[in-house]
Amino acid sequence: MIKALKIIGILISLLIIVYVLLVLNMNNQLKPKHFPKEGVYEHSAHYIDPENSLLNEGFVVCDENFILQYYNPERATYSKGKNGLREFILTSFKNNNFTDSGYLNIRFIINCKGEAGRYLIHENDLDLKPKKFNPEIVEQLFKLTTQLKKWNPNFTHDEYRDSYMYISYRIENGEITEIIP
Amino acid sequence: MEKSPKLFLSILFLLLIVSCRVKEEDPLAILEYGKNYQGSSRSLNALKKVTELDSTNSEAYRELSIPYLKRGIPHLWKTHMDKSIELDAQEWQGYRGYNYLWFYRDYKKAIADFDASDILTPNFIDAPQGHSVDYWRGIAYLGLKDYKNSIRYFDKYIEKETKDTGEDWVEVTAFLYEGIAHYENKNDSLALLSFDKLLKYTNNNYADGNYYKALILEKQGNTAEALNFVNLAITNYKEGYYNYRAYVEALRQIYIEDLLLLKKRLTKKQ
Repeated sequence: MIKALKIIGILISLLIIVYVLLVLNMNNQLKPKHFPKEGVYEHSAHYIDPENSLLNEGFVVCDENFILQYYNPERATYSKGKNGLREFILTSFKNNNFTDSGYLNIRFIINCKGEAGRYLIHENDLDLKPKKFNPEIVEQLFKLTTQLKKWNPNFTHDEYRDSYMYISYRIENGEITEIIP
Repeated sequence: MEKSPKLFLSILFLLLIVSCRVKEEDPLAILEYGKNYQGSSRSLNALKKVTELDSTNSEAYRELSIPYLKRGIPHLWKTHMDKSIELDAQEWQGYRGYNYLWFYRDYKKAIADFDASDILTPNFIDAPQGHSVDYWRGIAYLGLKDYKNSIRYFDKYIEKETKDTGEDWVEVTAFLYEGIAHYENKNDSLALLSFDKLLKYTNNNYADGNYYKALILEKQGNTAEALNFVNLAITNYKEGYYNYRAYVEALRQIYIEDLLLLKKRLTKKQ
């Protein structure tokens, strides 16, 4: 009888231990304590360094620690819509016999008040390799992009929020053929 | 004999420690963790760690590429995306085509990737992002204004889907885009057939379908009927029933001002 009780006791103890092990193991999978928190990436993919950006002076974001993406819930949009943006850019851009092709991407932040600032430019060829455009194209498109003043800010968790935005100009032989996104 | 339970428990405890240590370095577990908070340094570092632990993990490279795709940083998207294809073209080449199609509007590169997937998956039609490459090719050729090929691929997609699962399982935007291809190719009667199919499977609640029907009726001089359709389109649009995409503008996307402009024009004609 005593022997049987001992065996039952051992079995119950084992079951408790196995249960505890399973819980510990699950926590180990779910909690990030063992996963890398640091590494070669010091910043997020979208980070724009204020010190190395354009037109950051006087530009204020509402919460440096919570900047969304333009497509997050209530997306950030240009006040005159995509049609308005496209019309303004295409009618204002002058192709001064440019022959360049590639993607001229301008990234920036739209703050919670719908103002734009902290710009960064990426220049790539049509194969998406870094390149340098004719500076006149860059200057023109940067100037036009910064003239898009009024934006509808992102709205989430009951508040207007800052968000990262980009405009990509696909250019073929000096002509803008697509404005993305 | 008395010592055996203790011995057993010690071995079990040791196994637990070993199991936990293995988990710490498990690339698949880190990959899953890295998929969260996309684009954050935490996510990027986790995914980078996966590539260090397993340099053949194509999914980790694909995951690394996505934040750059969605944030307008092309060269960093390409570096990671191409690496994932180098490791597993069958899995990712069609997906890259989908990226070229929507995020770069590079229709030729998109078609090249979709065509390559035919060779990579000879026993089935690849379906990146849930849709057949034939459907995606139909859209890409429409982007190029190559209406013949656009219609050819939409026909192929619709025929196969209808045969396999039934016409009501066809992605409705295939009818929309095939209709647009016919419309732009100046074949209004075939365009109407496509738009009618679109409206049939959306219970007449699809702004784009009603808008294009209004345009065709306007051309036919049937202003009153056209006005009915554009009014329907405006209602649909306001209720959110129109063609759009999450991250980028859809091809031939319509906006409320397009509908209001048509309404204004039709009203003047009356």
